[in-house]
Amino acid sequence: MNRTGAPTAPRPVSWGRLLGAELRWVLRRPRTWLMLVLLTAVPVLMAIGIVLSDRPRRSLLAEVTGNGLTLPVVALSILLTLLLPLVVAVAAADAIAGESQHGTLRGLLLAPVGRVRLVAMKSVGVLVVAALAVGLVTVAGLAAGWLMIGPPAVLGADGALLTMSGTTLSPSGALYRIVLVAAWTLVQLAAVGAVALAVSAWTEHPLVVLSSVLGGLILFGVLTSIPALEPLHPWLITTGWGAAADVLRDPVPAGELVRSTLVAAGYLAVGGAVLMVRMVRRDA
Amino acid sequence: MTSGSRVRRGGIAAALAAALALALTVGFVTARASAAPDLPPVPPEELVASVLEAEPAALAGTVAVDNRLGLPAIPGVPAEGFTDGTSTARVWSDGEGRGRLALPRPDGERTYVRDGTVTWAYDSADRTATRIPAREHDRSGPAEGDPQAAAREIVGKLRDTSTVDVDGTTEVAGRPAYTLVLAPQPGERTVLREVRAAVDAETRTPLELTVLGAGPEPVLRIGFDDVTFGPQDPALFTFTPPPGVTVEDKKFEDKGLKDKGNADKGTGPDAAAPGRGHDPDRGGADALRTVGDGWDAVVVGTVPQGRGPQATGPQATGPQATDPQTTDPETSDQRGADRPDLSALGTPVSGPWGTGREITTNAGSALVTDDGRFAAGAVGTDVLGAALQQ
Amino acid sequence: MSTAGGIGTAQETAQRPEPGTAPPAARVRALRKVFGRVTAVDGVDLDVPAGSVFGMLGPNGSGKTTLIRMLLGLTRPTSGSVELLGLPVPAGLPAALPDVGALVEGPGFHPFLTGRENLRRVAAVEPRLAARDTGPAVDAALERVGLADAARRRFRGYSLGMKQRLGLAAALLVPRRLVVLDEPTNGLDPAGTREIRAVVADLRATGATVLLSSHLLSEVEAVCTHVAVLKQGSLLAAGELGRLLDAVAGGWEIATTDPGPALRVLREAGATARADGPGVLVEDGPDGPVLFAALVRAEVPVHGLRRHRPDLETLFTRITES
Repeated sequence: MNRTGAPTAPRPVSWGRLLGAELRWVLRRPRTWLMLVLLTAVPVLMAIGIVLSDRPRRSLLAEVTGNGLTLPVVALSILLTLLLPLVVAVAAADAIAGESQHGTLRGLLLAPVGRVRLVAMKSVGVLVVAALAVGLVTVAGLAAGWLMIGPPAVLGADGALLTMSGTTLSPSGALYRIVLVAAWTLVQLAAVGAVALAVSAWTEHPLVVLSSVLGGLILFGVLTSIPALEPLHPWLITTGWGAAADVLRDPVPAGELVRSTLVAAGYLAVGGAVLMVRMVRRDA
Repeated sequence: MTSGSRVRRGGIAAALAAALALALTVGFVTARASAAPDLPPVPPEELVASVLEAEPAALAGTVAVDNRLGLPAIPGVPAEGFTDGTSTARVWSDGEGRGRLALPRPDGERTYVRDGTVTWAYDSADRTATRIPAREHDRSGPAEGDPQAAAREIVGKLRDTSTVDVDGTTEVAGRPAYTLVLAPQPGERTVLREVRAAVDAETRTPLELTVLGAGPEPVLRIGFDDVTFGPQDPALFTFTPPPGVTVEDKKFEDKGLKDKGNADKGTGPDAAAPGRGHDPDRGGADALRTVGDGWDAVVVGTVPQGRGPQATGPQATGPQATDPQTTDPETSDQRGADRPDLSALGTPVSGPWGTGREITTNAGSALVTDDGRFAAGAVGTDVLGAALQQ
Repeated sequence: MSTAGGIGTAQETAQRPEPGTAPPAARVRALRKVFGRVTAVDGVDLDVPAGSVFGMLGPNGSGKTTLIRMLLGLTRPTSGSVELLGLPVPAGLPAALPDVGALVEGPGFHPFLTGRENLRRVAAVEPRLAARDTGPAVDAALERVGLADAARRRFRGYSLGMKQRLGLAAALLVPRRLVVLDEPTNGLDPAGTREIRAVVADLRATGATVLLSSHLLSEVEAVCTHVAVLKQGSLLAAGELGRLLDAVAGGWEIATTDPGPALRVLREAGATARADGPGVLVEDGPDGPVLFAALVRAEVPVHGLRRHRPDLETLFTRITES
């Protein structure tokens, strides 16, 4: 009992319980699953398209023809340009702006969930959606690539994947590349998520978050196409997104993968800092 | 109010985190810019000699090509690579004639592997592996399609007609280097101002080559973005055509091969500078001849059936070393089948040599006469006209 | 909902403070909040005594909700200080808020979840509930507000009244020392309003402090022990309801079965009087005992005589219009 005669303040709810509650909420949301199912369908549709059509030229998709294990890499690379960031943006929009719109952010703060813990809990929620999205696309790509397209013809003892450099990779080597690109994609999405959460912390309209991310991607695309702005290009997170295809080269050129990861870390840090500052001060 | 200080502390922490992130990113993005290192002075002639005598080094690196040659787009030939822009290549060399060159595209890659007996060219676009006999490549190969070979050749060609100087030191790809400057001697009628080569202080390997024309910006820059000297994995220098890949053999007589061969040799960069006519390999069936020597050498010949001047003009071959399109078999086939329409290129001119069209670029010019003769060099069109008449 | 099941246990965890001796459940000093050019709360000093049922009155836009939000740390004050359950806001919020239940600005829930799932989400982050107790606590709370039958329906299908009840259930998930209800009867039918009154009475019986805001005067008058009147962000009056009413009291109510003679006798005694329902209302004149003696002398039957108190509406009108 303290001087006010109150029972001693209870210990804060454990992290496990907090994150469990957040994840249950994220995964109960119908749109989360709708988006994830749509994403999972993309590699399968790609596999069908590749089986049914001639080998395309001048497209990363050409790598997948008769070379099924490249499908997860190509699918992640193509989805990273728009759909994956949008899925993360939707999760981030619901996480703060959506909760604010429904008045439930207030409830969390009054519980009380501390503001710093709230940021952590929301970040984990968005990260889990991103990881699920990347994981499902990767697994669906692997499954569809292996079952519907298969490895390169006349599979040798250790030839599961034909690289763009004309070498073959063993199954474990191919898997390593696939895991590498999945992890790299997740880092890029985490950066997008941090920025989207920062926007989400500034508004109570989820659509503002969505349009900011979509608008940002379009703006970056436009900026990239203007040669006069070349000094700016290394700073745009989208510039490094072509590096996904680098895992299909042999040896893997680490340069752009590392550079894009560092740029993503920068976005992550700035987005995270803005998010934290705003969440500590914002009204709910 | 305690709330104020608490919030302020949070704000300060977050601001610090943001500043740190920004500083890290800035530091990392701008890491390439660095100060001139301190190196013992070297007389120009000694530096030139050491460059020409240095053993080819075993290395791995990434080469960037900045092309501001200002070449016109040629109808019927894919624009990318010819026109101004930046491209990169990855090179590996064992220092003993084996090498690997990878020209990445966003959607694929073209790879050359010289294993000591043959050169393999693999293109992921059509999954074709092309075997090229070694004869073409005994002097230079894809692994030397880099600033090393390019700069050595140019320095060798130009030293007699140039004033050679050492312009301080610089740093390329994190390695200290001397800046070797070759400027045309008075009397050389070239449009180029100078050629600069950054020479690695330790190995005397050229790391960067810069060609300057009339403008302040270099018209061409080829240099290592990063480079590591040392023994390389021998597996890099072998190539086994994977299953499901078409294997083609190219013969030396093949026209398409010649294009390919030139590109394979990675002689593009040096071709951007004059002196190309000295190359004995170069004459071939097209009966090219060189008028003059040094900076104002002019290549004169006739436009062969099915070959556009863009393939033979010295400037045009510049970006080929790193351009996947140029060496694309399809493009070669295209050249063999129909000649690109050149009538839209350049401006009509006439002179004592006849009538035709002139094409000027940042690094030189070319004349194509209506009766199928052509001349090209790192010079003005007046010099070209005179060369045509010789 | 008339029996607040969980509330009864509050006595086990929270000592019933003696009014006047315990620190106030909430205290604000020189509190100010400015939104752009609008001053929503303008220099308010206020104590909410522990154990009271405190009604905040004021027209819409008078700053009631902003004041409550600052009290709960949802909005940062422009200046001034706030204490909640004796702890400074916001530093003490982690310790104070577990003992505070609040229904602020309408119930906030997710439309795609059922009522039960929504409450489970609230219970999951409630520090006063052990993880294994969340299920029973949610079911008990739903039962208490009469939503047990609708627990498995999605929140989006709830009526306004059901939504309000769910919000109340969330605020009362565990025993509280302070319950803040912002316009609790919004959207409720008369029966629902009575139920709220019963809940407030139960809360009071357990020793909890209740702070409720409303623009319905009759509602406040029926349940509150204390009131504060806000207008345009300023505090016009605050205190015990009885004392405030006494301050504006005047005149006497006389219950009689014979109002005609009574009026005549009273007027002769020098009083200003008029018939009021079955009895007589003396608005001005001699003191009560004098009037009583005069009536008895005139043999007018008197059933009762008491001080006339205005209702809250009169008080409110007087305070806000002066």
